[in-house]
Amino acid sequence: MARMKFLCDADRCIECNACVTACKNEHEVPWGINRRRVVTINDGLPGERSVSMACMHCTDAPCAQVCPVNCFYTTNDGVVLHNKDTCIGCGYCFYACPFGAPQYPQASNFGSRGKMDKCTYCSGGPEEDLSIAEYEKYGANRLAEGKLPLCAEMCSTKSLLAGDGDIIAEIYRERVVTRGYGSGAWGWKTAYGETVNVSA
Amino acid sequence: QQPVNPTASSVQEQQLLDALKPGETISGRISIPDDNAADLQKPSNKDWMGFNLKVSDRVMGVALVGTLLALLVFFVVKGRLKIEAGRAGRTITRFNVFERTVHWTMAISFIALALSGINVAVGRYIVLPWLGYEAFGSLTYLGKLAHHYLAWPFMVCVVITFLMWVRHNIPNKLDLRWLKEGGGLLVKGKHPPAKKFNAGQKIVFWGVVVGGSLVAASGLLLMFPYFLDSATDWQLAQIAHALIASGMMAMILGHIYIGTVGTEGALDAMTTGQVDVNWAEQHHSLWLEEELAKGAVQRRGPGGEVTPAE
Amino acid sequence: MLIKRKNIHASGTGGALAQSFLGMGQRKLDRRSFLRRSGVAVGGLAAVSSLSGGLFERAEAATPHDHAAPAERRKNMCTHCSVGCSVIAEVQNGVWVGQEPAFESPINRGSHCAKGASSREVVHGDRRLKYPMKKVGGDWVRITWDQALDEIGAKMLEIREKSGADSVYMLGSAKFTNEASYLFRKFAAFWGTNNVDHQARICHSTTVAGVANTWGYGAQTNSYNDIRNAKTIIFMGSNAAEAHPVAMQHILSGKETQRANVFVLDPRMTRTAAHATEFVRIRPGTDIAVIWGMLWHIFQNGWEDKEFIRKRVYGFDEAKAEIMKWNPAEVERVTGLKEEVVKRVAETFATVKPATFIWCMGGTQHTVGTANVRAYCTLLLATGNVGDIGMGANIFRGHTNVQGATDMGLDVGNLPCYYGLAPAAWAHWCRVWDVPFSYIESRFDEVPAKQGREARTRAQNMEVSGIPSTRWFDATMLDSEDVDQQDGVKAMIVFGHGANTIPRMKAAQNGMNALDLLVVADPHPTTFAALHTRTDNTYLLPICTNFEVAGTRTASNRSIQWGEKVVEPIFESDNDYAVIYRLSQRLGFADEMFKTFEMVDGKFSKEPTAESILREINRGGWSTGYTGQSPERLKAHMRNQHKFDIITLRAPKDDPEVGGDYYGLPWPCWGTPEMRHPGTHVLYNTNIPVAEGGGAFRPRFGLEREGVSLLAEDSWPVGSDIEDGYPEFTMALLQKLGWDSELTAEERAVIEKIGNNNPEAIAKVSWTLDLSGGIQRVAIKHGCVPFGNGKARVVAWNLPDPVPVHREPIYTPRPDLVADYPTREDGRQLRMPNIGHTVQARAVEQKLFEQFPTVLTSGRLVEFEGGGEETRSNPWLAELQQDMFCEVNTQDAAAKGIKDGSWIWVYGPEDNAKVRVKALVTDRVAPGVAFMPFHFAGWFMGEDQRGKYPQGTDPIVLGESVNAVTTYGYDPVTGMHEGKATLCRIEAAA
Ligand SMILES: Nc1nc2c(c(=O)[nH]1)N[C@H]1C(S)=C(S)[C@@H](COP(=O)(O)OP(=O)(O)OC[C@H]3O[C@@H](n4cnc5c(=O)[nH]c(N)nc54)[C@H](O)[C@@H]3O)O[C@H]1N2
Ligand SMILES: Nc1nc2c(c(=O)[nH]1)N[C@H]1C(S)=C(S)[C@@H](COP(=O)(O)OP(=O)(O)OC[C@H]3O[C@@H](n4cnc5c(=O)[nH]c(N)nc54)[C@H](O)[C@@H]3O)O[C@H]1N2
Ligand code: HEM
Ligand code: HEM
Ligand code: SF4
Ligand code: SF4
Ligand code: SF4
Ligand code: SF4
Ligand code: SF4
Ligand SMILES: [Mo]
Repeated sequence: MARMKFLCDADRCIECNACVTACKNEHEVPWGINRRRVVTINDGLPGERSVSMACMHCTDAPCAQVCPVNCFYTTNDGVVLHNKDTCIGCGYCFYACPFGAPQYPQASNFGSRGKMDKCTYCSGGPEEDLSIAEYEKYGANRLAEGKLPLCAEMCSTKSLLAGDGDIIAEIYRERVVTRGYGSGAWGWKTAYGETVNVSA
Repeated sequence: QQPVNPTASSVQEQQLLDALKPGETISGRISIPDDNAADLQKPSNKDWMGFNLKVSDRVMGVALVGTLLALLVFFVVKGRLKIEAGRAGRTITRFNVFERTVHWTMAISFIALALSGINVAVGRYIVLPWLGYEAFGSLTYLGKLAHHYLAWPFMVCVVITFLMWVRHNIPNKLDLRWLKEGGGLLVKGKHPPAKKFNAGQKIVFWGVVVGGSLVAASGLLLMFPYFLDSATDWQLAQIAHALIASGMMAMILGHIYIGTVGTEGALDAMTTGQVDVNWAEQHHSLWLEEELAKGAVQRRGPGGEVTPAE
Repeated sequence: MLIKRKNIHASGTGGALAQSFLGMGQRKLDRRSFLRRSGVAVGGLAAVSSLSGGLFERAEAATPHDHAAPAERRKNMCTHCSVGCSVIAEVQNGVWVGQEPAFESPINRGSHCAKGASSREVVHGDRRLKYPMKKVGGDWVRITWDQALDEIGAKMLEIREKSGADSVYMLGSAKFTNEASYLFRKFAAFWGTNNVDHQARICHSTTVAGVANTWGYGAQTNSYNDIRNAKTIIFMGSNAAEAHPVAMQHILSGKETQRANVFVLDPRMTRTAAHATEFVRIRPGTDIAVIWGMLWHIFQNGWEDKEFIRKRVYGFDEAKAEIMKWNPAEVERVTGLKEEVVKRVAETFATVKPATFIWCMGGTQHTVGTANVRAYCTLLLATGNVGDIGMGANIFRGHTNVQGATDMGLDVGNLPCYYGLAPAAWAHWCRVWDVPFSYIESRFDEVPAKQGREARTRAQNMEVSGIPSTRWFDATMLDSEDVDQQDGVKAMIVFGHGANTIPRMKAAQNGMNALDLLVVADPHPTTFAALHTRTDNTYLLPICTNFEVAGTRTASNRSIQWGEKVVEPIFESDNDYAVIYRLSQRLGFADEMFKTFEMVDGKFSKEPTAESILREINRGGWSTGYTGQSPERLKAHMRNQHKFDIITLRAPKDDPEVGGDYYGLPWPCWGTPEMRHPGTHVLYNTNIPVAEGGGAFRPRFGLEREGVSLLAEDSWPVGSDIEDGYPEFTMALLQKLGWDSELTAEERAVIEKIGNNNPEAIAKVSWTLDLSGGIQRVAIKHGCVPFGNGKARVVAWNLPDPVPVHREPIYTPRPDLVADYPTREDGRQLRMPNIGHTVQARAVEQKLFEQFPTVLTSGRLVEFEGGGEETRSNPWLAELQQDMFCEVNTQDAAAKGIKDGSWIWVYGPEDNAKVRVKALVTDRVAPGVAFMPFHFAGWFMGEDQRGKYPQGTDPIVLGESVNAVTTYGYDPVTGMHEGKATLCRIEAAA
């Protein structure tokens, strides 16, 4: 089975935020929730790089391990999903996640944050594939339709790669070899405990 | 205006990771007005997760299971502490209605907080398997609500308890002796003298006041994360909360044991408010004397009233 | 179950924005329920039209995207920028429910930027204008279309009666389809005015003027895709990463595979600069000095392409006189750039070829905009970097169809396809329109003599360029004597243009208040609806977006793409074609104007089909090669997108439908559609035959000057029967060559008719006037370019500063340089006075640079577009940029005690201008330089104007407009404003 991953090639990312609005569009993600976001390191300085980040669908996902109600599960594709019905909005996954992926509809201090929402790798949730219920809770299920995540598909510069980890690592590796530079497979070490070997 | 080659000088993730100290975040600029969003990566969040799993949960487990086991052993070995002189049949008022109300409010909210807290921490290992996801989810959600709302009466009661009983709980030399003599457990039949609260109870009192305050403080930070500067602060608060709570739960388990099965006659103090004079003689000799002395003058004291048994 | 999924809804992040949400009648942004609501507007709306009040109460028509059910896929283009990304819409029950990547498009290969990826919301936008409205006693009132058009028509006729046709200003849009642009230009002609303009004025007017005056056509020579072939790339005043993001896909892959040198010459360390191999920071407004500095090194070291210059360029001897003044010391004094930097960039550009030069607003929006552009072209010509793949002037155009709208003559000085305003041009279009010349002539004003200027007859007035859009408000406020037409401007008819996008907004505000009539026909109310204090005679007409109408648009690379109607116009909106038709009915010339089109039933009225309008463009657009792109061919291209190569943009020769074509038949696509010219991917390319898209420089400046030939020497497109330079093709030339016998009888008949059967006139019929296309056909058959084979020129003797001269911006931090490099003397251009010199002298005299010490420049954010009315109304975009800001350098901020994210005041040197914005403290800008995006409006000089929008149409995000503080300054050729270099003062706000 394929192991799905993201790889943002920061040497291509121009912080155009297409990935962000594509996600909003595909899943009708409401104001205040950002399943994906783009952060610029060293803004305005010569070393500047922008990186698009969402849930990395980690190996041994930290979010899953701290969730008090065990509502996470990992699909056969290696996608980390969760069940909104049982989520209690405690926020633990947010604090465990190295990438700030979990999002909450309410930013109020006291009480519930509401049901956690995060990137589903465009593959819905526990409801029946492609059902309206699934769409309403988790957004579209592109994987079930045989498509890849829309954020990556619409990336302006093909910076954001999504798909089988081995394949996208190979694409990245080839790019680095071709052009002679690469700022790294952002997040891979932290998420998967490995990174892309780019030595030719 | 020196020319630069931005491509060649671009930041490397590995360099940033290497330079990162524990608790630090690789952050940048983002246009959405949400500070969290500007944090790109914080590998040490995994340390918090690890600590939670490997330390907090285990500490809690050990604190709870260990204490229960210890108490069981103690009970088996020592059995129930009897009123050695038997019940006198005459009682003396130990806690008035107000004191008892405060105590029980505090006790009930504490137990609810503890149970719901335990459930959040380790419920998925022990409760989830036999309740199933749906029911466990609902239970935990309710527990969470309970935890959030019962924290308030608990905190109020801790404050009142402190004001109400602090003057009886100033440590003094008697406490040293009481402790040296192991509260009368070491030598059978010989009870160290104590005023209204003995050293053991003072420990519980201060444990509740100090521990309660800390658990409240850390709990409030968990509940109002937006007052915290960073996620790291929240994580520290969470660790503190879990560890202090574990300690308190262990202590309170002991307290409950002593107050119920452990000591004959003790529970009366918190139910009817009246204790047997012989019980008082045995555990709080000096207090009893004080009360009787007061009674000689007035037969009324701040602690209550001594009445004949008839 | 106790746990029910709570509705995930908006939680504002506080501050002004959250209030804006609350202001919306508690309408939470729950997307799913909203989707349902907007579905309401589809279907039988036309029947309800303006009668029913309760638009929203009708049955809930649609469910959210049902992924289990099939959806129809419709293809159109992103409506925002000139890259021209294809958008695939999934439509269910008439509702646009999903957007899919258009992988087959060779332009975007599925990609988008933030704007394109949120296209769907453009159509669903609940902040759109929903029905016609007018101001009554200061309040917005809903009215019917008929009432609106009747009243507007009557008022226009009344104004025409009193002040003449020229007093009604027709401001069109770069958002129009080609068909709407063409209609709007035709509409202005039938009304009788040349006061018709659009965004190109404030965008690339200087490019078009500069480039057309150098080598023939005012357009990008190559394509985004072709930049993949470049080995050296210069961006000068272009921030493509934010402004043309998908272009960066091609550029960055090219950079990687070619290991190309990428230089970014810009005042700011932009997102584009972050991917450069060298970033060179320049002072705003010094482009000519930098380019001349580079050319100095090139000529000093003999790096120029001597052969290319000899064969294909005129005037370097003259140009060198100016260029060689720019020795390294002088360059450093003016620009601050070190010799070795300038030299390195110059050497690389001249020697590591092919090299391409990309420019955009950093170059064009200046008082020296046209001169800047010509300096860039001079660099390209000196290094032989034009006319082949991987090189050229890659001019990144602006709006989605700014190229097409310009081509269609939405311009004060042109008829469609750059025919100009000469009598022959009018006669040509009158033939296409099938109306007598005298009819159009009768529509124009006679202009009385004023201030010593000569009076004009109607026919003469037809030849005089109109007032540029940058000056419309001056034309309402100035004494009528000062405005070179019958009267000042009394009415603004604005189709798709913002008011916050032209500098000097205080003056614009006064201008709006002074108008007798203001009409805004737009999907959104725009600042034209909110800035003024008008109480009456102000109308808003809801136009649908390009997704709700069919038509073509021309991308920056001249590819023309056919967009399908995705959904029916929502709410009561209607398309531009129908509205122009209905308005012309009120004005009495609908029948004349529309008789050439196929009319069908539209939403509320008859309307012309996009196909028939395009066919008319094909019938008349010979001069630019807009003739081969029939609706059928363009539709075939959209069907066969996947067949086009992503580097060459060409389809395999053997394809039955599009074989050998370049994608989108980039103009010039010569001859008739039947001729199947493939279009021109790379302009002026002599390395391929003309029939395959080859060409040469266009000789349009005469055949010789001062005894020197202006025709090419020893250079011709491969396969040409004439192996030398030659002038444009006319009947006379064909006859001379003996090729006229190859014309068919029909072709000859058409030509003879155009020449009124008069041999002398027939001989004069040229490739641009020949409605049969025969002349083009025969020329191309012989491998010749219809327009001739000439030299490009680096001396434009018809323009001010024939060789570009550095001139300091009007408001400059370097008064010491004004003495040496003053702006041009005052004068009159385009019916208006230009007092730039006086303003500059006064600024120096009053030492304004002391009170306003910071250089202010402006430009784009990727999330918002133009005036921002559409994009700031799109929650998916608005969320990403919630506050208007000003980039302040870190040192400057520290010195002034300004913190990142805090409020500041930015003061401008004119009109007591000031704006309250947030500080974005960053090293993107150099010390002493500040930058503000120009997409915001709705606050004006500290005042929140939200309440002035009709209810429910206020954009989600409002903010100050930078153009409240930008200042006077106009390019003498085109009237371009100075948008990129002025002065300001920044102070922390309480
Ligand atoms: N997201 C987005 N994309 C757009 C648009 C939009 O509004 N939003 N608009 C479209 C339109 S209409 C256009 S015209 C294009 C414009 O696209 P661009 O011209 O690329 O955009 P700008 O940000 O206006 O300006 C480009 C750069 O010019 C620099 N600059 C300022 N002053 C000078 C100067 O004196 N010399 C030089 N060399 N550079 C200078 C600025 O720092 C800026 O980085 O973008 C199109 N694409
Ligand atoms: N200071 C400063 N000022 C600038 C610039 C700068 O860099 N700095 N840039 C300049 C440039 S390059 C440009 S191009 C201008 C852009 O400035 P504007 O053109 O004023 O900005 P837009 O908001 O794009 O205006 C387009 C309008 O068309 C409407 N519209 C969209 N589709 C249609 C349609 O199909 N039909 C009709 N009728 N209307 C439609 C939209 O709702 C919108 O109101 O701003 C210029 N102003
Ligand atoms: C079922 C549970 C409990 C029982 C049966 C119980 C019983 C008692 C009794 C009998 C006393 C009186 C001892 C005396 O007479 O001196 C007492 C005192 C006290 N209890 Fe509890 N208690 C319980 C739970 C709690 C809890 C949860 C807390 C605090 C969180 C608490 C805090 C105290 C304190 C501070 C005192 C006074 C000091 C002391 O006597 O140790 N009790 N309790
Ligand atoms: C006094 C005020 C208290 C407050 C404001 C408070 C608040 C909180 C909060 C906000 C949480 C996070 C989980 C959630 O959101 O449900 C939490 C967790 C917890 N609380 Fe409390 N709490 C308080 C007292 C207590 C007490 C008295 C105990 C038990 C003795 C306790 C035990 C726990 C435990 C065990 C957890 C789970 C920690 C983990 O996951 O490791 N809390 N508390
Ligand atoms: S990125 Fe965060 S939310 Fe996603 S799997 Fe990893 S820890 Fe969980
Ligand atoms: S917020 Fe929900 S998903 Fe996250 S840890 Fe808590 S219960 Fe689990
Ligand atoms: S994979 Fe899908 S859900 Fe995840 S960020 Fe991309 S678009 Fe959003
Ligand atoms: S779409 Fe691609 S280039 Fe744009 S911000 Fe996202 S990852 Fe970066
Ligand atoms: S704005 Fe331009 S680059 Fe972005 S999607 Fe639209 S056409 Fe493409
Ligand atoms: Mo533009």
